Amino acid sequence: MIKELSLEVITPSKSAFKGNVVSVSVPGTQGAFQVLFNHAPIMSTFEIGKIKIIDPGQNEIEYCTGGGYIEVLANKILIMAESFEHPDEIDFERAKKAEERARGRLTTRNSDIDIHRAEMSLQRSINRQKIYSKFH
Amino acid sequence: MATLRDIKRRIVGVKNTQQITKAMKMVAAARLRRAQENMTQARPYSRKILETLNDLMALEKEINNPLFQKREVKKIAILCVTSDRGLCGAFNMNVIRNTEMLIMDTYADYNREGNLHLYCIGKKANDYFSKRDVTIAAAHIGVMSHLKFEFAASIVSQLTQKYIAGEYDKVLLVHNEFKSVIQQKLTETQLLPIEALEGIETKTNHDAEFLFEPGKTEIFDYLIPKHLNAQFWRILLESYAAELGARMTAMDMATENAKEMIRSLQLTFNKVRQAAITKELLEIVSGADALKSSS
Repeated sequence: MIKELSLEVITPSKSAFKGNVVSVSVPGTQGAFQVLFNHAPIMSTFEIGKIKIIDPGQNEIEYCTGGGYIEVLANKILIMAESFEHPDEIDFERAKKAEERARGRLTTRNSDIDIHRAEMSLQRSINRQKIYSKFH
Repeated sequence: MATLRDIKRRIVGVKNTQQITKAMKMVAAARLRRAQENMTQARPYSRKILETLNDLMALEKEINNPLFQKREVKKIAILCVTSDRGLCGAFNMNVIRNTEMLIMDTYADYNREGNLHLYCIGKKANDYFSKRDVTIAAAHIGVMSHLKFEFAASIVSQLTQKYIAGEYDKVLLVHNEFKSVIQQKLTETQLLPIEALEGIETKTNHDAEFLFEPGKTEIFDYLIPKHLNAQFWRILLESYAAELGARMTAMDMATENAKEMIRSLQLTFNKVRQAAITKELLEIVSGADALKSSS
């Protein structure tokens, strides 16, 4: 029997994923980790990057995320993500424009600009483009 | 006395208005359905965050997060959430009046010394307060009809940063809460400092030994801003839904009014027409009588 875990992914605007999986990998704040059957209870935050899900049919899907929080307890995984996008949902042009905008902001170094936010936005847009290019 | 043609013209005019109000009601109803859907979809996220925060609070008694810290209030920020468009009954006026009372009455001293900043969300608040004696820190116009989570997050991050830096010691929100399609409730919410997390029963099993990465406090500190984001996001979505609900009711009432007006105009029209016919008949009969008696 394949050992499955139930996974739920929620984003601010909707419940993005609900179903059984075999494995989930997340880009944890203190290093990426993978959750398999019977994983110890854990609460962790994760960074901008990709969430890899392997479903019971051994299909591997990579989702793009903007960071969030993961909780594992008794083979139930709960992910609260800032964003959670399938590669097909990514708007490549928009990500590209966001990257240019963020780079522009960082080079001008105007005091009005929130540097931290610009950097995060840059990271997010690069991450989106990377995942998009991998699947298209 | 109005002539037949004048009355006819008025009836046509009222009918046109009625058609417009009816259409506006339909549009509001359609948008309301979508807005309500968005509201329900946003609910699990804010609920789960609250649950997790409550769990963490139960595990750790002491909170050192700066956003919980109460300070002596020297500077205040007030956010006034209104709509961009009118024709929605008392929806905007309620919020604006309450905000004005806060500014001119409760926090009048702060306002006089320039220690009160107003953030206007929605065009109506800005229209009203830009003509009055109050410092508007920022106005966000045209965001309500296509709300984005990023917008809510950016406002919250601005405010929390200013709170931590000591530029504000208190952040208040005045907004409409969505109670039902026909009912809105004016609400004041204190965004910062966080007073208490709304009580939701903790569900997680506390016996389980959790691993924390990077640590309890870090996770707590990470989730607090997310909670504020979710809270503000919910408030925006609710305010938009409430606006549409208010517009729907207002337009429904306008349509009913127009119907009543057409009815009474039609009645006068009929009366005037009948009077004209009677007068004409009278003239003919008296004319015939005059001819008869003269012969």
